[in-house]
Amino acid sequence: MKNWQPDPTQALCDGLAQPASLLERSGREWTAMLAVGRENLLLGALWHRAMEAGVAERLPEWAARHLWGAALTAETNAAALRWELEQLDSGLIRNLTPPLVLKGGAYVLAGLPNAAGRIAADIDLLFRRDEVERAEAVLFYEGWFGTHHSAYDQRYYRQWMHELPPLQHVKRGTTLDLHHNILPATFAVAVDPERLLSAARPIGGMDRLQLPAPRHLVLHAIVHLFSETDWDRGLRDLYDIHTLIEHYEAQHGVVFWEELLNEAEALQVAWLMEPAIRCCQHRFGTLVPESVERRLHDHAASLPARWVSRRMFHHALNGRVSATPWVDALARALVFLRGHWLKMPPLLLARHLFYKAFLAPREDDSGEDRAAANPQQHG
Amino acid sequence: MTSVAELGYADLSGRLAAGCLLVQTGPVRSLLKSRLSSVAEGLWRLYADHRVIEPEDGADFFCEVREPLGLRRFYRPQALFYADRKNIFKPLPRNQAFPMLEWGLNWCIGTQVKHFLLFHAACLEKNGRALIMPAPPESGKSTLCAALACSGWRLLSDEATLVDLASSEVRVLGLSRPVSLKNASIDVIQAIAPDAFLSERCHDTLKGSVAHMRPPRDSVVRANEPATPAWVVFPRYQPQAPAVLTERSEGETFMGLARNSFNYAALGARAFHRTVDIVEQAQGYDFRYSRLEEAIPIFEELAAGSHPSSV
Repeated sequence: MKNWQPDPTQALCDGLAQPASLLERSGREWTAMLAVGRENLLLGALWHRAMEAGVAERLPEWAARHLWGAALTAETNAAALRWELEQLDSGLIRNLTPPLVLKGGAYVLAGLPNAAGRIAADIDLLFRRDEVERAEAVLFYEGWFGTHHSAYDQRYYRQWMHELPPLQHVKRGTTLDLHHNILPATFAVAVDPERLLSAARPIGGMDRLQLPAPRHLVLHAIVHLFSETDWDRGLRDLYDIHTLIEHYEAQHGVVFWEELLNEAEALQVAWLMEPAIRCCQHRFGTLVPESVERRLHDHAASLPARWVSRRMFHHALNGRVSATPWVDALARALVFLRGHWLKMPPLLLARHLFYKAFLAPREDDSGEDRAAANPQQHG
Repeated sequence: MTSVAELGYADLSGRLAAGCLLVQTGPVRSLLKSRLSSVAEGLWRLYADHRVIEPEDGADFFCEVREPLGLRRFYRPQALFYADRKNIFKPLPRNQAFPMLEWGLNWCIGTQVKHFLLFHAACLEKNGRALIMPAPPESGKSTLCAALACSGWRLLSDEATLVDLASSEVRVLGLSRPVSLKNASIDVIQAIAPDAFLSERCHDTLKGSVAHMRPPRDSVVRANEPATPAWVVFPRYQPQAPAVLTERSEGETFMGLARNSFNYAALGARAFHRTVDIVEQAQGYDFRYSRLEEAIPIFEELAAGSHPSSV
């Protein structure tokens, strides 16, 4: 089926931003939208949006069931995530400076609108640089074991990255990432994590774990996606950014935008914020106040680069079921190169890519894929 | 209401090549694409009675089986399976393209369906009451399932039993897709049910030879009729053993079901409660057997409601 019209990714984004648009989708459009939504883990969010807008009952039943099913599994995932965080909160890390909960865990604990229907694969905590390895050591006694044991991977994480090699719980298989910054030490600009830690807020019901300030939650979502090399679930991360901004703007008004921009400038990441906001406007119709538009414009790249990067981000966000698969593939490749380019200075990058291409032991696919890799297991 | 047979082979393979063939199997609709003639032939023979709907009606899954790009196709041809344009499996030899589509559809259901509680179990029905047979591979589940489907039971599913999560009553749904048979089972079924249509054998897969049995027409036509769980039977094929049916405790039945679910953990408390519902209204059994001739009458007695006996 060649004609996926209109663009399924855009149809999904419209559905999230304006759920009433879902009522106009044909069966063929739903087929493609479900594919893109599944790929980006956005079907649960779509269900909650449709419920809030009161259109869920009027959706085609066969399609709505997928959204509902995704929302059910997200509910289970959120309960498990909360439970894991409670265990951590009452565990051995109480002897350290309280860490921040980042990303999915933070959205769930803060009850933010993008947490509804969202599936988080792992838990992310941010510790002070000088305490992160102590945290790793004490968590060992609670069943959290290190992964990535090769000498290269160890140095890669410990020396160059902003997080330690991921931990995994020996019984439950949950993954836990211990961060000490939100961007790698080798990134194009240096971010001061103290700003995040000092602005932290308590979480109701938790003794130790803390939440980043709203502006930091948004900025972390932005720098995470726009420094990423792999945009497999880029659309979900963009939806997080859009939803968080919409939510906080509704709470605090235009002041929130100003805080956000001020902080982006202070952390030297406004040049990442500009394309992020453009993508949100383009995909979800995020409303940006006039004054913010002007300030953002100062952080935009020069004209030819801006044009290329807009096309690149647009196509890299497309799902696999798309009318332009080849351009999308090129865009993903460019995002991959860009991410690496930003992450490491050229010489280090060359060394890293050389190692990964020729010296690194061949890795199998990740867990889920490994189970699926063999077709005969499914019949 | 058009069935694959009514569509005609030319229309079927044309739609399949264009990626516009939408086949309904129970509550699941799959949009299929392939230019490989073996895939078209497999669908033609094994899905003859299934309903074909129009792409405009919408599909749960978009699946494609195709050759890889590149020169390899000329000297050692392969087939790849794509779900929603994602390459899911390692490549297989091209002669396994049709079984690969079957396995791929199983993968889609097993990993992507969250709105049903799914058990890796065969499911059959008699008088509105469902027989659920959960079992790991090599337990003789499919053989028993094919034999029962050929002797008066309605086939709901050979591979995945779908339990409704939305309704207040506990009911199971089936897919009425072809039953997958391996190695010696192929001859056994052919002998016990000479009228059943079996596809040509596909040799040298990792599981040996595989063939698929076309589901009985009545089962396909009634695929959307739900059934109420009445028996949960854990079959185990054991060479030379006499057929013995023994009751299983509720706790053991529960654990056996949970262990054989594809999405129990993902659905959490809801899955727990629905599994409890099943165990509360269905009697659990262990069933050891070697000969289908002994096995089938035992299931007849079970369906008739007489006290289950062993032979």
